[in-house]
Amino acid sequence: MSKAARDASVRARIAAQREAERKQEQRRRLATIITVAVVVLAVIGGGWWYAAEQSKSEEIAGGLAPVTVQSDGTAVMAKAGVTSPVLDIYEDPQCPVCKQLEEISGPTIKNLAAEGKVKVVYHPLTIFSQEPTRSNSLRAASALRCVTDGKQWLAFHDRLFKGQPSETVEGFKTDDLVKWGDEVGVTAPGFESCVKDQKQRAAHEQTSAKTMADQKLEGTPTLKLNGRQIDNNTIFVPSALRQEIVNAGK
Amino acid sequence: MVLTYQKAAPDRPRTEHPALPWVTTAARLVLAAVLIVAGGLKIGAPALSVQAVKAYQLLPDSLATAIGYGLPIIEIVIGVLLAVGLLTRVSAVVAGLLMLAFVVGIASAWARGLRIDCGCFGGGGELAAGQDPNYLWEILRDFGLVIVAAWIFIRPPGRLAMDSALGLSGRREPYQPEGDIFQGEQPDA
Repeated sequence: MSKAARDASVRARIAAQREAERKQEQRRRLATIITVAVVVLAVIGGGWWYAAEQSKSEEIAGGLAPVTVQSDGTAVMAKAGVTSPVLDIYEDPQCPVCKQLEEISGPTIKNLAAEGKVKVVYHPLTIFSQEPTRSNSLRAASALRCVTDGKQWLAFHDRLFKGQPSETVEGFKTDDLVKWGDEVGVTAPGFESCVKDQKQRAAHEQTSAKTMADQKLEGTPTLKLNGRQIDNNTIFVPSALRQEIVNAGK
Repeated sequence: MVLTYQKAAPDRPRTEHPALPWVTTAARLVLAAVLIVAGGLKIGAPALSVQAVKAYQLLPDSLATAIGYGLPIIEIVIGVLLAVGLLTRVSAVVAGLLMLAFVVGIASAWARGLRIDCGCFGGGGELAAGQDPNYLWEILRDFGLVIVAAWIFIRPPGRLAMDSALGLSGRREPYQPEGDIFQGEQPDA
């Protein structure tokens, strides 16, 4: 073989070998990337699923614990004789996060009260200082104060959150509030005029301001268990909230 | 040795200031820290994260729910990838798009006169009593992070990156020193 031919053949072999190496390298890179991507997607999927699991609400198992409306506009939900632990719920009917809390953890709270594991005290508040949210909240909360029967109070309370308007529009109109009251079976005499004339508004404003000052509330929803504020990572995870309350009762 | 061959285009990185890859590393760590903290503060209360997304009133509820559950874990995973420099470029793109989405979301909330907390670092998108939104600062911060992400995208993966260790970075270390390719075979022998 002439030197030139040998050189040519070596050159060809070198080229082929390099090409093969390059291809192998490419395959290895692709395999690594795919492996990493699959792991990443699996972790994200797992995290997503876990987040959804964590946020699953309980079903309301049976009946509710008796509810008593207090003269200061709060309502107590507890089985007869249950006095501790005490769960104070500070919430504003206009506050979206409170609505979220009611949807996610409301059933757990009701179940625990029905199981006799906790005494629940609802404190309807108005935290908003701007319009239209302040008036919305005041109309709703003072309407709630027009309800005297405990069972009806809780039903109307739930209905308020269900009908919560956006924070940018006027909502909780008195006509709607009266209608919702009828819907959930409010029978309090004078309910309609109490709502339409916002007869409880001043009383509610006073209670609300006093409660926020006394309890040093930074916002709503705030849940206090035996006077100690519960962390957000607990109150928005029904299973964690149940655990916390059950433990407090031991 | 008389043999000459056309060497493939040099794989050597273009000449750059030696500090530049470290800038990328720093950028990765900054973005990673923000993402991991933001995700970490939200992941404990997924329902609250959902509410924070809903607070922007931009997406239908079902989509907002899906995003609210997914966002914290995505932020953490992307943050970890950036920190270790794995799939750096893709992670930088995802992080940059996330930040851009936040900029758009906040700007839109501002424009529509919503009074919300951005929910960036936990919280349900609700302002505490008497608190005012600081949209401008939030937008500037997130836009700054878009630029950080863009830097990482343009100059990946920086020093101390797994991409380099695994040979995944676009610019490989030069590995074909002269003569090596003959692997002991001497054509002139």
